[in-house]
Amino acid sequence: MSLSDAALVKLEALAGPENFSAEWEEVVQYDIDGETPSAVVTPPAVEALAEMVRVAAEARLALVPAGEKTKLDFGGIPDRYDVAVRTAALNRVLAYDPGDLTLSVEAGINLAELQKRLAEHKQFLPLDPPFAPRGTIGGILAANSSGPLRHGYGTARDFTLGLEFVSEEGTRARSGGRVVKNVAGYDLHKLMIGALGSLGIITVANFRTFPQPPASATLGASFLGREGALALRRAIAESPLQPRALEVVSPRMARLLNLPNVMAPGREFPEGQWSLLMAAAGHAQVVQRHSFDFRGMAEAAGAAGWFNLEGAPETALWQRVANAPYEMATISEADTVMKITALPAAYGPLLDALERAAEEKQMSAGMLIRGPGVVHLTLTPDESHQPAVPRLAAACHAVFDAAARAGGRALIERCPTELKRAVSIWGPPRQDLALMQQVKRTFDPRSIFSPGRFLAGI
Amino acid sequence: MPMNAAILRELEALLGAEGVLSKPTDLLMYEYDGSVEEARPEVVVFPSSTEQVVGIVQLAARHQVPLVGRGAGTGLSGGALARQGGILTVFARMNRILEIDTENQRAVVQPGVVNLDLSRAVDHAGLFFAPDPSSQKSCTIGGNVAENAGGPHTLLYGVTTNHVLGLQLVLPSGEVVGIGGKTVDTPGYDLNGLFVGSEGTLAMVTEITVRLLRKPEAVKTLLAIYETADDATQTVVEITGRGITPAACEMLDGWTLRAVEAFAHAGFPLDSAAVLLIEVDGLRETVEAQARDIEEVCKLCRAREVRRARDDRERELLWKGRKNAFGAVGRLSPSYYVQDGVIPRTRLPETLRKIDDICRRYNIEVGNIFHAGDGNLHPMLLFDLRSKEQFDNVVRAANEIMAYCISVGGSITGEHGVGMEKNELMPLLFSEADLALMRRVRDTFNPTGLLNPAKLFPSTKGCGEIRVQPLVQPGAGAPAAAGAARPA
Repeated sequence: MSLSDAALVKLEALAGPENFSAEWEEVVQYDIDGETPSAVVTPPAVEALAEMVRVAAEARLALVPAGEKTKLDFGGIPDRYDVAVRTAALNRVLAYDPGDLTLSVEAGINLAELQKRLAEHKQFLPLDPPFAPRGTIGGILAANSSGPLRHGYGTARDFTLGLEFVSEEGTRARSGGRVVKNVAGYDLHKLMIGALGSLGIITVANFRTFPQPPASATLGASFLGREGALALRRAIAESPLQPRALEVVSPRMARLLNLPNVMAPGREFPEGQWSLLMAAAGHAQVVQRHSFDFRGMAEAAGAAGWFNLEGAPETALWQRVANAPYEMATISEADTVMKITALPAAYGPLLDALERAAEEKQMSAGMLIRGPGVVHLTLTPDESHQPAVPRLAAACHAVFDAAARAGGRALIERCPTELKRAVSIWGPPRQDLALMQQVKRTFDPRSIFSPGRFLAGI
Repeated sequence: MPMNAAILRELEALLGAEGVLSKPTDLLMYEYDGSVEEARPEVVVFPSSTEQVVGIVQLAARHQVPLVGRGAGTGLSGGALARQGGILTVFARMNRILEIDTENQRAVVQPGVVNLDLSRAVDHAGLFFAPDPSSQKSCTIGGNVAENAGGPHTLLYGVTTNHVLGLQLVLPSGEVVGIGGKTVDTPGYDLNGLFVGSEGTLAMVTEITVRLLRKPEAVKTLLAIYETADDATQTVVEITGRGITPAACEMLDGWTLRAVEAFAHAGFPLDSAAVLLIEVDGLRETVEAQARDIEEVCKLCRAREVRRARDDRERELLWKGRKNAFGAVGRLSPSYYVQDGVIPRTRLPETLRKIDDICRRYNIEVGNIFHAGDGNLHPMLLFDLRSKEQFDNVVRAANEIMAYCISVGGSITGEHGVGMEKNELMPLLFSEADLALMRRVRDTFNPTGLLNPAKLFPSTKGCGEIRVQPLVQPGAGAPAAAGAARPA
């Protein structure tokens, strides 16, 4: 029996046979870019997980943590992949103090379930990532997944108070704490957030929770051209308004969101319309003020039409917005989703360059421009005799260049596996790559956590 | 201890004679920081460029001497003291704002820029830099980054780490590396998150890219006055529990507000047991609704009176009282020891009673000033350094307060940092495995351990007897500003 086979036997013994599977039908569900693990384990408790990591590390087994599997195709092709480690059994609320607005949960808990618990106390976590209502806290943190609400509340790093994780040595480690203000020790949890499981396995997360606003409304406006939508975005950004979400939507993305019907049910929605969506929340008077000012600013920016949504349709719209780029990518296998960070002042030339990159390679582009400087771009290759992957690769390179010219960065979030072989999905290397590699070696010297999936093959 | 003459000559060649201080009388100025335990550097240097910082770092590595960074020296945990001697690098000359980008709401600054100077520089564009430590008129943004500084308004706006997007680092090897950038979400690990708050133990920072916020349309400042401290803490519990998030929610107990009033004439009522200084900001409508809700809660919790600042002058006066509280207390006691514990906000009333009990038991006078809204406590334990007995009692009382904070799920420091003040307390908060991993991270970036040595980590490994040396707050005429002074 090889070293790794022996280790798998030990893992099965540690997990218990009911929590271990090497059956093809099971392991194939954890496939990443054609790489399939030898086994899937579901540690029944954190202690067992820690012991399993210790055993795996000694045998150099490569582990990929998995929650609901919604983002397994994010990141690079795994260099090695022996065991998928499910966090499903680690799903308890460990502490919730509504009076203190603080919360401690295990990583395998489902976000939608958790939001229900918080709603009983009129509170919530301002996390609205794609793939709702699926998705676990651990997976969302590992991918640093965010949604439209990041405009008003920031991302997970801004309201995560501390994390516990199993380190490569198989010990339980912790940084941060459970109180809303704390500067003791290094903020290792900030490194874990967005590390795509490459530094350890997150087991517990502590958050600050937020009160549900008493009222909310979504205002929308459509424009015949892009300039109007961008002008309105800028006017709102420079106004005293404090929206919780602010998005500029390209025509193709608007159709996916079903905006034409929301905007003007039963009426013609001209081709090429750009839209802007703004969510306001707070006391009723605050929402009214946003409505009133929005209308004035939309008119000044030359809006062709506007709308106001509340209640269930409002909630449904924002769910579609969170999912839109990724949903579009499920329509065709060749679809590719990129995330571009940029400075708002450079939006005009950046969007021009993105449109040009798509057009030159015969593909349709959908764009969602999120408040604080994030552009979600989907590329759908048109029917053509030319193979899709080389065209996508060329378009992605053009996008990397355009992002750099706009003072930002681009990366490929989701794409066909063949494209991952043709392009570095993380974009051109940056000068801090060596520091990142040092971080990886410090946390995971034997490279057992998601090898190959993170930045530049980390 | 005088510096090796060869090293001094090299430093003078690098920085010019005016950039190097080595006379014992000059060094005396730099053996303190905002609080005070003495630790005298062997030489103090004043670089004016990243290149000079690189030169200093390389020189320190070559000669294997400790190297400590320092802003204005207002820190409260001994972070900017040269605990093991060596070179103290003061960033006072690297105080330029390199770029202000109003449309994208960004600024790039050198580490020696004074916190408030940045907000002043962008005020014309309706913007401000959110972290606002009480020392913001003198403390530097480099120091804020090292300590992950907070302030009263962090209740709503977050601490320094929430506002830093990019850093230029000089690593102990002398290599210059940029991390993060002007945009959000730079691909890769969140290195900003690691380096901000690393207390100068991982790298020297020579440029900082920060986010600027738009100034709120309206601000209202309330002063709620109480007959008992319990009613004041209960108000905070109630405000938090109702999901009201003011921009700031500060508490001063009777002892402290009387000390402040004699000095600042802010209008704090001398016969009250406690006051809450609460500020709300945002849209006019938000501010009006929140102020109304807060007044209602204050009344419900038996506030004797709730005043609203009528204009900016009254508002500034109230804040002057709050922000100068430490200075005011310094006039009354030869020495005092400020704590920085954090507790869950639901525990405020019992914690204040506990602090009272502990201090009574040790016969110590205490003044309490809290960032109550986020459960961050600053009890000031008064003593006379000339009395060994008083000093020992203060140490014991402080340890009991810290132990209590930890026992209710809190922390030993909310914003002042660990430094050399609380490093021996770290094992109370973190396991050996946690600390081992943090040490590995330090050893990765600071392999020789020469960068800010003997800080943040406990000196002994086991969790045996904890011995804490408090940083003694001096009385009147505190040399806190000494670090800001430049050599002649």
